[in-house]
Amino acid sequence: MKSILSGKSILIVEDYSVMRKTIRDMLYALEADDITEADNGENAIVEMVAKRFDIVLCDYNLGKGKNGQQVLEEARVRQLLAPNGIFIIIAAEQSVAMVLGAMDSKPDEYITKPFNAQQLFSRIERNLRRKQYLENVEKEVQRGNYLTAIHNCELLLEKDDKKMRTHVIKRRAELATLIGDFDVARRLYWEILEQYELPWARLGLGIIEYQQTHFEKAVSIFEALLQENPMYLEGYDWLSKAYEAQDRPFDVQEVLNQAVDLSPQSILRQKRLAETADKNGNNEVAEKAYKAAVSLGKHSVYKTPADFTNLAKLYSKIDASPRALSTLKDMRHEFPNNPEAELRSAALEVQLHKQAGDDELAEKSLKKALALNEQLGNQTPKDLQLDLVRSCIIQSHAGQAEQILKSLIKTHIEDDSFIDDIRHMQSATGMANQTEAMIQATKRELVETNNKGVTLYKQGRFNEAMELFEKAMSVMPDNKTISINMLKILIHDLKNTGISEEKLHRIQTLFKKCRQVGIDAQKLGIMQLEFSKVLQRKKDRENA
Amino acid sequence: MSAEGIFPTILASTVHDIKTSLGTLVNLIRQLQLNQTKEQVDNILQLEFEANRINHSLMQLLVMYRIDRRSFSLNIDEYLVIDILNEAKSQQNGHFQRRNIDVQVACDEELLCFCDFQQVSNALSSILNNADRYCRKAIRISAVKERDYVTLCIEDDGVGYPEQLLASDLRNPSDPDWVCGNAGLGLCFVSAIAHFHKNRDSRGFVKIDNHSSLGGARFCLFLPSQSV
Repeated sequence: MKSILSGKSILIVEDYSVMRKTIRDMLYALEADDITEADNGENAIVEMVAKRFDIVLCDYNLGKGKNGQQVLEEARVRQLLAPNGIFIIIAAEQSVAMVLGAMDSKPDEYITKPFNAQQLFSRIERNLRRKQYLENVEKEVQRGNYLTAIHNCELLLEKDDKKMRTHVIKRRAELATLIGDFDVARRLYWEILEQYELPWARLGLGIIEYQQTHFEKAVSIFEALLQENPMYLEGYDWLSKAYEAQDRPFDVQEVLNQAVDLSPQSILRQKRLAETADKNGNNEVAEKAYKAAVSLGKHSVYKTPADFTNLAKLYSKIDASPRALSTLKDMRHEFPNNPEAELRSAALEVQLHKQAGDDELAEKSLKKALALNEQLGNQTPKDLQLDLVRSCIIQSHAGQAEQILKSLIKTHIEDDSFIDDIRHMQSATGMANQTEAMIQATKRELVETNNKGVTLYKQGRFNEAMELFEKAMSVMPDNKTISINMLKILIHDLKNTGISEEKLHRIQTLFKKCRQVGIDAQKLGIMQLEFSKVLQRKKDRENA
Repeated sequence: MSAEGIFPTILASTVHDIKTSLGTLVNLIRQLQLNQTKEQVDNILQLEFEANRINHSLMQLLVMYRIDRRSFSLNIDEYLVIDILNEAKSQQNGHFQRRNIDVQVACDEELLCFCDFQQVSNALSSILNNADRYCRKAIRISAVKERDYVTLCIEDDGVGYPEQLLASDLRNPSDPDWVCGNAGLGLCFVSAIAHFHKNRDSRGFVKIDNHSSLGGARFCLFLPSQSV
């Protein structure tokens, strides 16, 4: 019989040559025939950029540079894995899995040293089989065809393969949650829980309550889950989200703090903790977490200049200007010739120089910042633009402040928490009334645009409607109302006119975007259903 | 921090470090086995056996450390029981072959179980390591599902467990009479792992007796399973 490993491309990432050779020999003995090796995390990424591997075996501890978890995170973010590829982390100790507790990127499996060929093989085989079994589901998920993916899950469940059943149900329930089919998702999770009290199924029930905005119920499910499974880090992440939705910032901080204590290596969790504590005015916790994020970021794909400037801002708040300036220096070192980093630095320096009473330097920094902002165009992150507004106001450049503010409000009018950030900042500068007027005007304008677009469409002026929305979208790229209205019109238009590849592509791209900007899953689920009905009807007609 | 507070952490990191070296050592030992005379292979297999013992002890120590620090949890998923048994056996295979021990595995190939694969297979492997030491020539590994439990048993044809061990409370390592010695420690560890497995009101447990179908010791691990 042909080995399951033959023809599979395998990457071994291990810094210790003796160990690397051992693994390679094991794999050859298992009839693997396509093996690549890397001796550190950076080289692993180089190999993965050049080729999509079916199997990556990556040691956690890789000496200097990236560790195994960071290699995995980068591979996921940059999509460097084959669609059915598996990633196994080799650890020296079993508890590594618990301690890492990564937020987004989990490997398919951990294997603990020392292991023999049989152990290695059984893990690879188990994961390859699972991936292959769900191949037709994941392929459709990748394309954004959730309903087809769900249909394919159902086909698999009909086969009634007991070995795979639990895994398929898990995926099926996740997809049902994703499209907002909550009754089905709930039923599936209960089906699992009737057999065995699995934490992920309990978590799933909590997520459903969260998605349905039943935050109180969600909180009680997550709290009970953590009571029983105090090491279940995903539970902490969801509980903190639910607290956030209930506007309980101090509870959010407390929960994130617990999670960070259990798993200090997760950079994303450290960032969330830092930002939450910062907003809560808990400088000590914020400083510690920002520092951790900066240091973890060194080899992480999640490294950003904002990690540094947030820390520097905190220092400037607690009157520690020298430390703020030295943090900015560190940032320039980490991000050489990076316009965003330069801009962040300059915007903050305005405030630092002003604090130190050096008006001239402050003005110089502002000029530099404005020039850089011009250069970055609309790529300047929103929090940074707000920093810039603050710097403009400090230097009494009200006109420029207003200009940036206007576009910020336009782009993020539906982002309640950011709009609140704007209000919060403006209340300190005495421009609150003016800003509030701008916010209200933008809201009205948005409603008008939408109404106009919908009316145009109803009058049969499809192209004009689309043109209007597209124009609005160029000003407000992440606007949910516009996105969903465009989607509605496109699907409706598909019903009335013919199908073309271009139209399908456009709709699918828009679906993706709608999910990205955070449109309610249930709303999108209904649209998905509508979309696939239209497609089905067309298909039936063609076949008839 | 007091010296007392630091010691467990230092111990844990040291154990961790030793384990890393041991991992390399075990792999080197395996490589040495190739291209050797029969006699040398025997010695090397003995070396591997001892290295495995050390590894199990260290691994148990680390898990116990985590349990003590309340930072231990299982990673439960659904697995084929036969895979767990094979994994446990594979860790002792070389040595079984050298001693010509007849190892039978009896388990329904379709039998499934919710558990922490790594912890359970390691725990069973350490029991097998002891069975290997005390048996004469045969070991039987089996698993069945009975009502709310999946039972995994290891039986041998040795002289059986000593009375003292049979009479002790496996979950209470403060009982000094039996806790000394690898067999006692291993059982204590498996009991702890078993206890962590729970489904609603039932928890896993370990039972030992001398009712082995082969005439020696019998070890049984009960893991809570879905009710039928």
